[in-house]
Amino acid sequence: MSKEEYNPKILGFLCNWCCYAAADAAGVSRYQYPPNLRTIRVMCTGRVDPAFVLRGFVEGADGIFTGG
Amino acid sequence: MVEAGRSPNIEILTNADLLSLKGKAGNFKADIVQRPRYIIADDCTACGLCTTYCPRHQVDDYNEGLNITRPIHIDYPQAVPATYYIDPRSCLHLTHETCQICVPVCQSKAIDFSQKPEERTLEVGAVIMSPGFGRIPEDTLAKYSFGKHPDVVTSIEFERLLNPSGPFTGEVRCLSDNRHPHKIAFIQCVGSRDIGCDNGYCSSVCCMYAIKEAMVAKEHDPDAEITIYYMDIRTQGKEFDAAQKRAEDKGIKFVRAKVADVMPWGNHLRLTYSTLDGTHSFKPFDMVVLSVGLESPPDADKLADMAGFKLNKYNFCDTDTFAPLATSKEGIYVAGAFNGPMDIPESVTQSSGAAGIASGLIKKQRGRGIIHKSYPDEKELGDEVRIGVFVCHCGINIGSVVDVPDVSNYAGDMDGVVYYTESLYSCSQDAQEVLKEKIKEHDLNRVVIAACSPRTHEPLFQETLKDAGLNRSLFEMVNIRDQCSWVHANEPGAATDKSKDLVRMAVAKARHIQPLPEQTVPVNKTGLVIGGGIGGMTAALNLADQGFNCSLVEKQDSLGGNFKTLSHTKKLIDLVKKNKLVTVYTDAQLQQTNGFVGNFTSIITSGKGAKVKEYTLDHGVIIIATGAREHRPETVLGNTIKYSKKVVTQSELAEQLEGKGKNRAPDSIVMVQCAGSRGDDLNYCSKTCCTTAVQNALRVKEINPDSQVIMLYRDIRTYGYAEDLYQDARQKGVLFIPYELNNKPVIAEKGSKLSVSYFDPILQDDVSMSPQMVALSVGMVPEETDTLSKLLKVPVTADSFFLEAHVKLRPVELPVDGVYVCGLAHSPKPINEIIVQAQAASAKSAMPLVKGYVTVDPIVSNVDKDICIGCKLCTSLCPYQAIQMVKDENNRPKAETIVASCKACGICASHCPTFAISMGGFTNEQLNSQIQAFGQAVMEKETEAA
Amino acid sequence: MAKATKSREGTVMVLGGGIAGVQAALDLTDLGYYVYLVEKSPAIGGVMAQLDKTFPTNDCSL
Repeated sequence: MSKEEYNPKILGFLCNWCCYAAADAAGVSRYQYPPNLRTIRVMCTGRVDPAFVLRGFVEGADGIFTGG
Repeated sequence: MVEAGRSPNIEILTNADLLSLKGKAGNFKADIVQRPRYIIADDCTACGLCTTYCPRHQVDDYNEGLNITRPIHIDYPQAVPATYYIDPRSCLHLTHETCQICVPVCQSKAIDFSQKPEERTLEVGAVIMSPGFGRIPEDTLAKYSFGKHPDVVTSIEFERLLNPSGPFTGEVRCLSDNRHPHKIAFIQCVGSRDIGCDNGYCSSVCCMYAIKEAMVAKEHDPDAEITIYYMDIRTQGKEFDAAQKRAEDKGIKFVRAKVADVMPWGNHLRLTYSTLDGTHSFKPFDMVVLSVGLESPPDADKLADMAGFKLNKYNFCDTDTFAPLATSKEGIYVAGAFNGPMDIPESVTQSSGAAGIASGLIKKQRGRGIIHKSYPDEKELGDEVRIGVFVCHCGINIGSVVDVPDVSNYAGDMDGVVYYTESLYSCSQDAQEVLKEKIKEHDLNRVVIAACSPRTHEPLFQETLKDAGLNRSLFEMVNIRDQCSWVHANEPGAATDKSKDLVRMAVAKARHIQPLPEQTVPVNKTGLVIGGGIGGMTAALNLADQGFNCSLVEKQDSLGGNFKTLSHTKKLIDLVKKNKLVTVYTDAQLQQTNGFVGNFTSIITSGKGAKVKEYTLDHGVIIIATGAREHRPETVLGNTIKYSKKVVTQSELAEQLEGKGKNRAPDSIVMVQCAGSRGDDLNYCSKTCCTTAVQNALRVKEINPDSQVIMLYRDIRTYGYAEDLYQDARQKGVLFIPYELNNKPVIAEKGSKLSVSYFDPILQDDVSMSPQMVALSVGMVPEETDTLSKLLKVPVTADSFFLEAHVKLRPVELPVDGVYVCGLAHSPKPINEIIVQAQAASAKSAMPLVKGYVTVDPIVSNVDKDICIGCKLCTSLCPYQAIQMVKDENNRPKAETIVASCKACGICASHCPTFAISMGGFTNEQLNSQIQAFGQAVMEKETEAA
Repeated sequence: MAKATKSREGTVMVLGGGIAGVQAALDLTDLGYYVYLVEKSPAIGGVMAQLDKTFPTNDCSL
């Protein structure tokens, strides 16, 4: 991978019941996707305080993904 | 299924056949034999290495033979038990005594060819038969070229084609040349409603699954042209008509026609069909899907003989309308498709109902066979955080991509980590022992395991923690398999980096984890049943049978509901009155309900006029059985209706036919189906009207054989065995004439004469006649669901029926814990289905009563009352009504979580303006530290790059 | 051929491990009984396990 290539750091909040489950299912089916995402599991995206999103950006995330 | 696999009180005996079943209710002896798997279940880690080495091929039965697998395999990764097995029909060693390559390949030495069949005798109090259904024989399918042309498939094969774990990983392809089929035909009623193959009954589920499959196929390829050839569309279930409408809107074509045959035609298939007007046509298709019906299970005869119960003429289990889950042998019950073709929600309902009756039978032995696990006391934690990190190879699943030693060493350098290691399979039985030892040896008080998904394995590890004297909350799992090694298989470097990041984030969270107490709330062991019809009375009696008190609240002055005249109803009323555990309140209304599962308090009023009394009832559960009433539409299909002796509803006709004298059956009668239903006035199908109409038609013909009976219909929905009645009515000369919505029948009264005119599609002409009577098949509307839904805070559908928690898997539970529904308040249905549902609702409602307490997962929300300003934002946002306002000692309003109702979604915590609410296991501190740890990775990478 | 007899009070046998059998077994344990779930194939789940869209989504994995 060349250093010039855009390699964003993405932080994801995944709902345990749907998106986290879907991410597991993607694994079971061996779907390949880029390794840029770092995830935090929550019991529901209702838990995601906007402050967490802002904090993520402060900490250097290039994008925040909320899946629920 | 995973739940069944994990329960200490369910022993799953797979590969097992029943040899004999003797004894009587309360005391049966069952001999079974378990065929060997040739794999030691406890040692198999389901890594799959054996399959990759096995040299032999065999057809994959799980995929309906559409692709191949190896003799040593597992049907699908989530199978329970998650143990491989060796198919003795094709294994080279078991057929030719050679090979055995798998034996040395297996790293956990789980393969054992010396296993022999094992016989066991089980002593049980009751038996539930749920052997499912069989397959329609292939010779019935032959006229559609099934077996001759690979692109003619059954609906189950088509399911596998649609499935991502199927033969083409979810792509629909023709089996002949792998092309994507553009034109697909579904043929309905294959092996059902077909006297040719002795299956006179309707399989009830095929119309709906065909629609589902067609819709999914359309999602795969929006340009696909899909046609469904049918006789009647039988989407009589709750909200099913709406699904059919959506399918039509999506461009799926529905053609009412009989399919004569399907023949290979070049690269394609040619389908010949005839429509009602007598025209024969043919059309080319790329793929033809046969909507095969449900056959009785192949070993039904043997089973019935062995157990001593009766089968019906179609070889399904024989049951009675009023005891729909009992076989003819006491103590043996039946659930699911063996009790007649049915769909998943109905099967699930029957299962709960059967479990409830079995429970009533042997209630004296309740709890005696149950295994209760005990755990050591939780140890003191101390101030120092001592984290242990365990990184799993998962055989080669993780280890072949992620550099596991590197990740493990990386974890070792983190603050608070006092122990780190790798393991080959951290989920294996011996790994649990190692985990316990290490917790003890290193005095660990937080555990982080980097392996697979917490959704599947967290409970297992938490169990081990409890065994080691740690609170189960002191645990964090890192998913480096499903969400890392498997999805970044070609980027080992990046996958290792990601694993490190995720481990660091988990360790950061783990530093802030605190033990959370397991909370339990005691349960008031009585029930409240609302509605005293057949459903409510059945439910109340069933609860009493299981040993629980209950109150039965009926708004009329007597019990019985819609079916007061039935002898079964009279029997029930008698039983209810005699039963000491059931207290009946008539002329009664529910006024108010407070509380939550296990601890409800309701106020009801009972009595008339000046004698009205108020009662306060404490109870643990609520069953809603408020029923429905006949709908009397003022206009039917655009015609204004004046009900009279000549224009009646089907129930009025039935009452008239019950009377005496030949005159009670008219010389000519026109029955109009879907009068006010299915979009006419009500939006839905009332499920029972077709069968009732056909029964009335037969009764008219029986009393007055020369009577001219004409039924105008849209789809005749005599599903299940009621199809026999429909066939009978046709044979006896009842004329069935379909009408279309763009050409509705006209009903008028001219002087003293009735006139009905309609378009006859066979004659292709308008017909007008003057019948003596018109009987309208009107639907039903639910009773007072709106008031109750507000009182109990439970949702209703757009049609005002109660909305269950999960349509398929929790069909009698409502979204509010401790509240259940049965009968017509749930949706229109015939009596036998009402009874089943009532039995299921009482079984489900007995569960918290049996348990005696409600356990609360400690991940619920928790309000810090010192910080709470009583703004009520959380109470208005909570989707589960799980937060209430209370007054503190200074009389200030404060929020308080009703832990038994909380579902841990965290909406309250994320909206609380003063951060007064924290979520167990997902506190602000924990999540923020995770985000911060994420940030560290970004920093490190930027430093490296610089 | 190994032979073992297991005697236990308050037990129920459920014959057939499809969706109906699994549900009955789970419900029976919740009602306070020990269950033998007897299934002729190597895994429970029955036909439901073969269906698309109800399985293996979280929805229906039970």
